[in-house]
Amino acid sequence: MTVETITERLGQRVGEALLDTRTHKETRLYLTVDPAAVVDAADELFNRMQARYVITAATDQRRDHGAYLITHFFSFDADDVYVAVHTRVPEGNPRIDAITPTVPGAGWAEREMRDVMGVEPVGHPDPRRLVLPDDWPEDLHPLRCDFSTADSPAPVTGMEMPMKDIPEGAVMVPVGPYFPTQHEPESFAVFVEGETVVGSDYRGFYNHRGIEKLGCSDLTYNQIPFVAERICGICGFVHSCAYCMAVEEAAGIEVPRRADYIRTVFLELERLHSHLLWTGVAAHIIGFDTLFMQTWRMREPVMWLCEKLTGNRKTYGMNIVGGVRRDIPDDAHDDIERVLADIEREWTALAEAVPGDRTLMARLRDVGYLSPEEARNVCALGPTARGSGKRIDVRIDHPYAAYDELELSAPVEEGGDTLARTLVRLAETPIAISIIRQALARMPDGPVRAEIDEDISPGLEGIAAVEAPRGESFHWVLTGENNRPARWRVRAPTYANLQAIDAMIKGDVLADVPIDIGSIDPCYSCTDRMTVIDRRSGQMRVMTREEMLGSRQTAEHTGT
Amino acid sequence: MIRDWLIQKVLPRSLWVYHTNCGACNGCDIEVLDVLTPYYDAERFGIKVVGSPRHADALLVSGPMTRQTAPAVRRVYEAVPDPKVVFAIGSCATGGGMWHDTYNVLGGADQVLPVDFYVPGCPPRPEAILHGIATALGLTPKEVHALHAIQEADEVEIEELAEEQRLVHERE
Amino acid sequence: MTIASKLKEALLCMKAGRVTLPYPFEPHDPEEGFRGLPKVDVNKCIGCGGCANVCPARLIRVIDKDQSTRVLVFLYERCTFCGRCAEVCPEGAIEMTRDFELSTDDVHDDMIGEYHIFMGPCERCGRCYRPPTALDKLMKPGMREDTIDRKCPMLCPGRTEEKE
Repeated sequence: MTVETITERLGQRVGEALLDTRTHKETRLYLTVDPAAVVDAADELFNRMQARYVITAATDQRRDHGAYLITHFFSFDADDVYVAVHTRVPEGNPRIDAITPTVPGAGWAEREMRDVMGVEPVGHPDPRRLVLPDDWPEDLHPLRCDFSTADSPAPVTGMEMPMKDIPEGAVMVPVGPYFPTQHEPESFAVFVEGETVVGSDYRGFYNHRGIEKLGCSDLTYNQIPFVAERICGICGFVHSCAYCMAVEEAAGIEVPRRADYIRTVFLELERLHSHLLWTGVAAHIIGFDTLFMQTWRMREPVMWLCEKLTGNRKTYGMNIVGGVRRDIPDDAHDDIERVLADIEREWTALAEAVPGDRTLMARLRDVGYLSPEEARNVCALGPTARGSGKRIDVRIDHPYAAYDELELSAPVEEGGDTLARTLVRLAETPIAISIIRQALARMPDGPVRAEIDEDISPGLEGIAAVEAPRGESFHWVLTGENNRPARWRVRAPTYANLQAIDAMIKGDVLADVPIDIGSIDPCYSCTDRMTVIDRRSGQMRVMTREEMLGSRQTAEHTGT
Repeated sequence: MIRDWLIQKVLPRSLWVYHTNCGACNGCDIEVLDVLTPYYDAERFGIKVVGSPRHADALLVSGPMTRQTAPAVRRVYEAVPDPKVVFAIGSCATGGGMWHDTYNVLGGADQVLPVDFYVPGCPPRPEAILHGIATALGLTPKEVHALHAIQEADEVEIEELAEEQRLVHERE
Repeated sequence: MTIASKLKEALLCMKAGRVTLPYPFEPHDPEEGFRGLPKVDVNKCIGCGGCANVCPARLIRVIDKDQSTRVLVFLYERCTFCGRCAEVCPEGAIEMTRDFELSTDDVHDDMIGEYHIFMGPCERCGRCYRPPTALDKLMKPGMREDTIDRKCPMLCPGRTEEKE
C-alpha cells in the first residue's frame, strides 16, 4: 500500500465525497471527506484494507471555517503510512455518524469527542460521559475556543456516569478509586459469580488535568515539551519527543542528526527503567516483593545516570522544538557503558532464575488471555499486542529519530496471557541495551539543536508517533498563530490497551484481576481517559456512585 | 500541642504511611516507591507503606487535585485516624504544578486537605522525600526560606527586604 | 525445578550485598548540572521578562512597582525545575542551584522569590523602561499579557533608536 493506492481505493469507495488529498513525503496522507462518507471511509480503511485505527481528534474551527474539524487517524503499519481522514461538521449542526459500530476501537475516542467538543456521535452504542468529572454540567465543552482554560464551572449533581447493570446472579466488586495494588485512582466494577469474573465496567479519567486545553492556543511551542513530559512520569520523554517531532514535521524544521541519536539513547534508557519498574510492580502485585526490591535496585543506577546527564532523574527536560538542550559528552560514554553492563549481567541472571520458579509461573500462565482477534478489535498496542502475536512496533513500522539506521527487533509471543506479555518485556530489555550501544558508537558529530529563525506559520499539521514502553504514543499538532499550536492531540498507548482489559479478565478468578490489569502496564495519567461486556443479563439498572462507594466498604470487610 | 508531641515523640520510631495519588503523572509516585527500595530503604526507620488508610499515621499525597478525585481523597483523609500527618509530595501537590489553573484541576493538595508538610520537586528525589519526613518529625531543621533581594541604583548592593517593602501576592 | 530457581534468586540478592546509602546521615548530593531551585542574581538581572515568557508553569510575574523598580516574583511552590528561565536569560542572571532539600511546612511563604530590580527612568518621560539589549534576542510574538504589567510604553517619542 502506498499513499497513491490508498487514495485510489478510498476514491473508488466514496467517490465525490473525497474532497481533498495531500501527502507529506511518502508517509503521511491527509484526506478531507464529506461528513456523510466518514463511516464508509473508516470501513474501507479498517475492515477492507486492514489498517489499524489510532485515534480521533476534534478541533474547534468555528472562527475560520464555521465548523468543527473531526479527524480520524489510521495507520498502515506494514507500509509506514499514517492516514488522517478530516471532515468538517457545521457549527449549527454538530453531529457526525459514529464510526464505532464499524471500528470497535473508536468507542472511547468518540465519547471523548462528545465530552470535550460537543459533537454528537450519532449511533454510538455507549454514549456515556467518559472524560469529564461527575460534577461537570451538561453542554459545557472545555476544548471549544470560547471556553477559557481557567474557567471552572460550579459543581452539579446528577451527571455521574451510570455504571452498567450487574448481571443476574453476579456480585459487583469495586476495585478503586483507591486500591492497594494500584498506584493511580481509577474505578473498575468487576462483576463476579463466586470467584469467576463475568463482566466489568470502568470509570476512569481521574487524572484528567486539561493538558490538551493548554495546547490549544494557551502555551507557546517551547513551553509544551515540558508539559508533555509530565503527562506521564514514567514515559514522559516519549511524549516530549513525539510532540517535538510533530511540530518539526509540521514546520519543516530539520533536526540535526546528532539530536536524533541523543533522543534515541534517552528513549531506550527510559524503556530500560520502565521495564525494570514494571517487572518490580507486577511482582509486587502478586506478592513477590523480593523481585520488586531487586529489579528496582537494578534500575536505580539508570536514574542516577540520567540525573548526571540531564539534570534530573526523571522528567529529563531534554527536548525542545528543533532538537535537544544538552549534549552527551564523550567522557560520559564510559559511565553509560558501565551501567548497561551491570544491568545486562544481572538481567541475565534474573532471566535464568525466573522461568523455573513454578509459583511465579502459576500466577502468570494462562491468566488474562487476550486473543489475537480481540487484540485487533480494540487496537491494542505495545507488549499487550505483541504478547498476543501481533508484530507491531513503531520503531520498526514507522521509524523515527535514529531507528532507521540501527538494528533492532520486536520480540513477539503467541501465548496471549500475562506470561506472554511478561516474556515480551523481558526480551525487550537486552534489545534496548543493544540499541543504546549502537547509538553511542555511531553518533555523528554536529550541533544538537536547530536554529529556528522564522516564525512557524499557522495552519500546518504534523503527525508523530513514538514507541513508548507501553506501545505507540501518537501526537498530532495543528499550528496556530502567535507562536502557539492551535490544537495538540495526544493518544497514549494505555488508552487503547485499557479497552482490552474486559476481554482479558473474563473467566479469570477475582484474585487475578490486579495482575491482569497490571500486565498491560497501565499508565492512567497517560490515558486519562474498562469496557463493559456482560452477555448474560438483559436488564438495566443504573447504579449510582454513592451506591458503588458504599458497596466497596462492604467488599473490604469481606476480605477482597 | 498534644498532637505535635505525639508526632515528634511517638511516630519517628514507626511511621506507617498511606500513599495516594490525586491526579499525578506518576513521577512522584515512583519516587515514593523508590524510597522503599534497597538504596534508600525507608523501612530501616520503621516507615512502612500500608494498604489501607485506616492503618496509616501519615498520608502522602501526590499530584494536583482534580475535580473527579477530590471527594475520594477527602474520604481517604477522613479514614486516616488521628493523630495524622499529611505530606504533599511534588510540585503538583504543593502548588498545583503546570496545570494549576486548568478547568479540571483545583490546585495543590491544600485546596482540599489540611497539609502539614510540603516536599517540592518534580519529581522530588527520594533523598528529598526522606528529608521531608525527617523535617516533619523534627529530626532535622528546615532549610528552605523565602528569597528576597533588592538592587539599589548605581551601587550593586543586595539587601534583604523589610516586611513593609514586600508585595502581597495572590495565588490563582 | 523451583528449588533451584529460588536458590538462583537468592544468589542474585546475596551477590548484591547491602547497598543502602547512608543518607540522611551523610549527604548524597547530585552532580554538577542538576536542576534545583533557580536563584536570581539581582546584580545581573535587567528586568527583561524573558524568563516570565518561557516558564511552562507560568510562575514568574513581572510587576512595575514604581518609576524605578521592577519586581520579579517567582512562585517557586509550583516550579518544576525545568531550567528554561536560566537558559533564556540573556545576562546569565539565573542559576539553577543544586538545592533539592526544599521541604517546608509553610510553602506559600517559604517557596517564593521576590527580586526588586532597579530600572533607569527615561530621561524624557520619567517612566522606567527595559534596556534594549535583551528584547532583540528574545522577542517572540505572543507574549502573555498577564505576566507583564506594562506600565511603561515601549518607546516614548523621545527615544527612537533601539541598539543591540
